[in-house]
Amino acid sequence: MNKSYAVLPCNGLDKCSGSISKEVAEMLSENGESEIICPVFYRIAETRYNKLATEKPLLVIDGCATRCASKLAVEKNLKISEKINITDEAKHNNIILGKSLRLNENELKLAKIIFEKLTTEEKLDTAAKDIFDFPMDINYEVYKKDKFVFRVPTNEGFYFNENDVWVYIIGNKARIGVTDYVQKSLSDIMYFTPASIGNEVEQFEDAGSIESGKAVFEIISPVSGRITAINNKIIESPELINQNPYEQGWIMEMELSDFINDMELLHDFESYFPVLKRKVDEFHG
Amino acid sequence: MDDSKLMNDSTFMGVSREKIDWSPRIDYNKCNYCMECVEFCPHKVFEVRENEEQKLIVKNPNNCVVFCRACSKTCGLDALDFPDKGKTTAHIKLIRKETAKNE
Ligand code: SF4
Ligand code: SF4
Repeated sequence: MNKSYAVLPCNGLDKCSGSISKEVAEMLSENGESEIICPVFYRIAETRYNKLATEKPLLVIDGCATRCASKLAVEKNLKISEKINITDEAKHNNIILGKSLRLNENELKLAKIIFEKLTTEEKLDTAAKDIFDFPMDINYEVYKKDKFVFRVPTNEGFYFNENDVWVYIIGNKARIGVTDYVQKSLSDIMYFTPASIGNEVEQFEDAGSIESGKAVFEIISPVSGRITAINNKIIESPELINQNPYEQGWIMEMELSDFINDMELLHDFESYFPVLKRKVDEFHG
Repeated sequence: MDDSKLMNDSTFMGVSREKIDWSPRIDYNKCNYCMECVEFCPHKVFEVRENEEQKLIVKNPNNCVVFCRACSKTCGLDALDFPDKGKTTAHIKLIRKETAKNE
């Protein structure tokens, strides 16, 4: 299958990884129906690409951690359907990028690997079977600061780690998400990178990430166990996390392996609420 | 999340942040000072020192979010390392038990 995208590369010319983003974009447009959005031109003449950017699924290619292309997409209010980071990919593929701005053998090899991945990758079936008996009526305690409102669920079964990730426990199953503090600090969340279903995760290990124009937030797992489901809806619409990170914006489900032990380093509502207040006061103070 | 101020009074699970040894370690044999990690981390953990031999240092280790390792993923050369997670959790649990006893 040859997918076609509207491709927004960062095109950064002062770093090798930026030049690779351009190379990948060119490969995609030469070998299929994909079309390139020039980030430089887009900045000054957005009508030129508006149609394209909404007609085809948008693929954003960032060279490095500065994420210029992602930030541009956010600035223009575009919906990102896929995202790739050249530096990350280089790392995954054990390729060390050269200092030169020109593309040599290694860089071209990486571009080719990424191109192939993008054009052949079949999406894994992450369909979450909603087997979880989640409480329909969640009660919240609210902390207000200026115009911001931070909710924390008070229902029994909710626990929180100090990294602002919640977990709701029923038996040996758990549902996981981020708290209002994370969602508000990031503001508009535009992309969710899920962990893989079936993966074993330890407590305090990262299990995916969410990002906004402002920052990337690593989801640090509050419990140890195996990932059994991912919330597909937030892959499509990460803004659900902003709307309500405890209900439709949940992130994943897990089968627990050692909750008795994990619990020692978790808060319940009573002890998390003051932590949240302190963080909010420090951050928005 | 931009908490640039030093949070000396901060805690993690009730344990004073200063008692928890968690921050990136830079391997100067690998680091090429690309500064990807600095650009990535919003917590002012690193400091860039243009005119020194070691152009990058971990200036504020206690600003680092306990159990975060996010910057190490941005480092293409694997020059950032972290303390052992299991040992760190065991250490935190121990301090908590000790303080509970003394109360
Ligand atoms: S990302 Fe790695 S190589 Fe680059 S400055 Fe940081 S530690 Fe050094
Ligand atoms: S681990 Fe996280 S908080 Fe610590 S320096 Fe790296 S990115 Fe910053």
